[in-house]
Amino acid sequence: MRIVFAAACAVGMFAGGAALAQNAITDPECIAPAQPGGGFDLTCRVAQDGFSEVLSEPMKVSFLPGGSGAVAINQFNTTRTDDPNAIVAFSTGSLLNIVTGKFGEWTENDVRFVGTVGADFGAVVVRADSEWQNLDDLVATLKEDPTSVIFGSGGSVGSQDWMKGAILLDTVGLDAKTIRYVAFDGGGEAIAALLGGNTDVFFADMGEMTAHMDTGEMRILASLSPERLPAPFEEIPTAIEQGYDAEYTIMRGFYVGKNVSDEAYQEWIDVFRSAYENDHFNKVVAEKGLLKMQMAGDELNASIADRVDRLRGMAQRAGLIQ
Amino acid sequence: METVLSGLAGGFGVALHPFNLFLVLVGCFGGTLIGALPGIGPTNGVAILLPIAYGLGLPVESALILLAGIYYGAEYGGRISSILLNVPGDSGAVMTTLDGHPMAVNGEAGRALSLSAVASFIGGTFAVVLMSVFGPLLASYAISFSPADYVALMVFAFASLASLVGKDPLKTLIAALIGLMLATVGIDASTGIKRYDFGIPDILAGIDFLVVIIGLFGIGELLHLVEQQVTGRMSLLKLDKSFVSKADLLLTKWTIARGSVIGFFVGILPGTGASVASAVAYGTEKRLARDSEKFGTGDPRGLAAPESANNAAAGGAMVPMLTLGIPGSGTTAMLLGALLLFNVQPGPLMFQQRPEIAWGLIASMYIGNVALLVINLPLVGLFARMLTIPPRYLTPLIGVLAFVGVYAVIGNTFDLKLAIGLGIFGWILRKLDFQLAPVILGFVLGSLFENNLRRALSMSGGDWSILLESFDSQALYVLTALTIVIPVIVGRRRLRMAAQKQ
Amino acid sequence: MAERLFYGALFILTLGYLYFAFVTIKAPIQYDPLGPETWPRLLGLLMAVALAIRLVRPSGVAPDVARKTIIRLAVVAGFLLLYAILFQRLGFILSTWGFCSAVTWLLGTRPVKAVIFGAVVSTVTFFVFTDLLDLNLPGGLLEFLD
Repeated sequence: MRIVFAAACAVGMFAGGAALAQNAITDPECIAPAQPGGGFDLTCRVAQDGFSEVLSEPMKVSFLPGGSGAVAINQFNTTRTDDPNAIVAFSTGSLLNIVTGKFGEWTENDVRFVGTVGADFGAVVVRADSEWQNLDDLVATLKEDPTSVIFGSGGSVGSQDWMKGAILLDTVGLDAKTIRYVAFDGGGEAIAALLGGNTDVFFADMGEMTAHMDTGEMRILASLSPERLPAPFEEIPTAIEQGYDAEYTIMRGFYVGKNVSDEAYQEWIDVFRSAYENDHFNKVVAEKGLLKMQMAGDELNASIADRVDRLRGMAQRAGLIQ
Repeated sequence: METVLSGLAGGFGVALHPFNLFLVLVGCFGGTLIGALPGIGPTNGVAILLPIAYGLGLPVESALILLAGIYYGAEYGGRISSILLNVPGDSGAVMTTLDGHPMAVNGEAGRALSLSAVASFIGGTFAVVLMSVFGPLLASYAISFSPADYVALMVFAFASLASLVGKDPLKTLIAALIGLMLATVGIDASTGIKRYDFGIPDILAGIDFLVVIIGLFGIGELLHLVEQQVTGRMSLLKLDKSFVSKADLLLTKWTIARGSVIGFFVGILPGTGASVASAVAYGTEKRLARDSEKFGTGDPRGLAAPESANNAAAGGAMVPMLTLGIPGSGTTAMLLGALLLFNVQPGPLMFQQRPEIAWGLIASMYIGNVALLVINLPLVGLFARMLTIPPRYLTPLIGVLAFVGVYAVIGNTFDLKLAIGLGIFGWILRKLDFQLAPVILGFVLGSLFENNLRRALSMSGGDWSILLESFDSQALYVLTALTIVIPVIVGRRRLRMAAQKQ
Repeated sequence: MAERLFYGALFILTLGYLYFAFVTIKAPIQYDPLGPETWPRLLGLLMAVALAIRLVRPSGVAPDVARKTIIRLAVVAGFLLLYAILFQRLGFILSTWGFCSAVTWLLGTRPVKAVIFGAVVSTVTFFVFTDLLDLNLPGGLLEFLD
């Protein structure tokens, strides 16, 4: 195994070139726990295309829809616990589902997290003709009358779209229960409602705004990222620089079953680590609208433990869980 | 207008390339095959074939043209299972079974299949023409439609469905309620809490529509076939060579025209789509017909109305997707996802930045519609031959196709068992003279109704007057009142006239 | 009789449905006055009333299903269930082979013919669906054919 790891390092150093040899991974498969077309599909496409120079076998993508990932985590805890070939896509939304009990008995300790491929961030979006130019304007209106602004997003109460709003409101001492919030079925319907004038503020992902940047129909008041993002978002101020300590990072990555052998687990980690050094992988990540976030193995586990704790705290503050 | 024409000309230049024409035909054929699986319509058909299209490594325009072929093929393939097997391909095809299947049973499978192809072609083409000319204008109207307006639309749709009521209104109500109650299973879309999931992760996101269709209709049909064979009531259908006639087209021309218009305008509204459109179109035709009792027994109008409407609606749903980048239906969400995989972002900018793709896609929809006719009309006889398979062989085949359909999409055996349970239930319902269409429509419209009602009330902070505020809502409630009142008045006048004659 | 039995069973299910709607379904945070519980309550109550009327005054449908037919149907339903259970474990080809042979045999085909039919259908459909249409079907015991 140490030899495999050494090989990975070598490939990493001489970037590009041949794929590293895998022993435990014979038939790599990426599982998107959703219908095709959504964020999990995208995550898998990044792996499928991005790992093409790192994996010795081509990776296939399959779909396992149901309960925003509940079916997948259940299957990997009952029938496919030791499948060395399959990695399953997850996001921060999956962690939030774990925290709020949407995955039933399964928690972050029931799977083995392998690595991330990238990140996305929350965004506060209004119509271009809106009276609000920045977060201060919006907050001033809200403080006057919290019910005068209609928020709309693509997810239900307790989803990460709602959570972004709850976190932002929390920074100015407003309770998310006092506002008006409308849950739509996905980002598409939420954008329609915003543009059609049925809602006033939309909590989006920066990634899904890429396509709408130049249309002049919407304005991003703030990105909920720790610092400013690269083009085309370089002009968008963060909430933090506007004085609101609100951040929402959407991590996109993969896990494997709990009983996967240490050997296979390590091989996957090596695949991710060498991909991070691979130009083609990084190009694919950027093309699919993801921002750089590269963590694998122990580093990722530590980060996830920390994130789950923070999400649990946020969910408690917002009154979602006891 | 000029930009539209020059854009289209450029688009056709791309789409008419021999290789692309070949692709659209291949896609249409593959789509038809997969759409013919019970329960698999365009949404799942595109989802299933998308990875192949992606894996071929085609240039973007060609890949999109292939997808358009698959889409129209799957759309039509869904009709094949509706008409021949009484199993709708997707929610938009539920109404198609009402008169389509009786036609097949009456020995007119060929006529039904070919009429459906013609009606689909006209409805689809009408929608594409309107989309390419008035797209942007319509899009801004479509997005202004508020949750309260959707509530009014749902009230209108349910009122249109009242025409489905057979001799026993209470039974229709029970059937619709079964569908409505099944739709409440799973995570609540507004508050995110679980309802009726009983700790089963497979139904956490709700019962999949595909499973309901395959269970109630597919497995139900299988059991029905077994019963008929065991009791010796099954008679073998002879090969029918019937085909759509000029008289059929003359009879249904206004039906198709109305269906196309209704379908397109319902279709452009995000979130409603083909199921509402076909239900409203069917209800309208039945109400307008002087001999409405023929509907449901194999009336060509009862087939032409939903078929033109659901294809027009499918085209209408493209309007917000292409012009605004907003997917308005399951299928357009799928196509949007497909476009994103090819690094194409639909929306207003697509027409400026990548006109060859935007117009190429629209041109390929024109061609996809034509391909549907070209591929399917000659094959109608072949499809109709399916019914001449001896029933003892056809019966297990339906089971296999139903299982393949569920497993290919969901990849899990829990849903197979759920489909079997629903199938037994569906068989019992049929035995007790219940109609299945209200169950399905209740299931499809139920969550739309509940979610939009609650969205409207969240917007107003609980004030119910929001439901009557907009002009669109008011107009729809007036239409609803008319749909309920007019048949009563007309019926009374006819009675009075009949009395006077005597 | 059959009708009353059916309405009775549905009525009991509806009572269970209503129990959940009135007792357990509740959201910690909601923005609309209805919440997740009102719609199911409404549906359940309507259903209970409609069923109660029909329980008292059935529509008089009396399906004549002979005991023999019921038994055959139960056997087919059993085959379906077995097919579902074995679908993944044995894989598509073997389970489909068994299912098709069993049903055609039950419907009056000679055993040899039924087995041949099952074999042809299962292999042909498997390769058509997996190779031509790239569908995801379980290989099961015959995984190596994939």
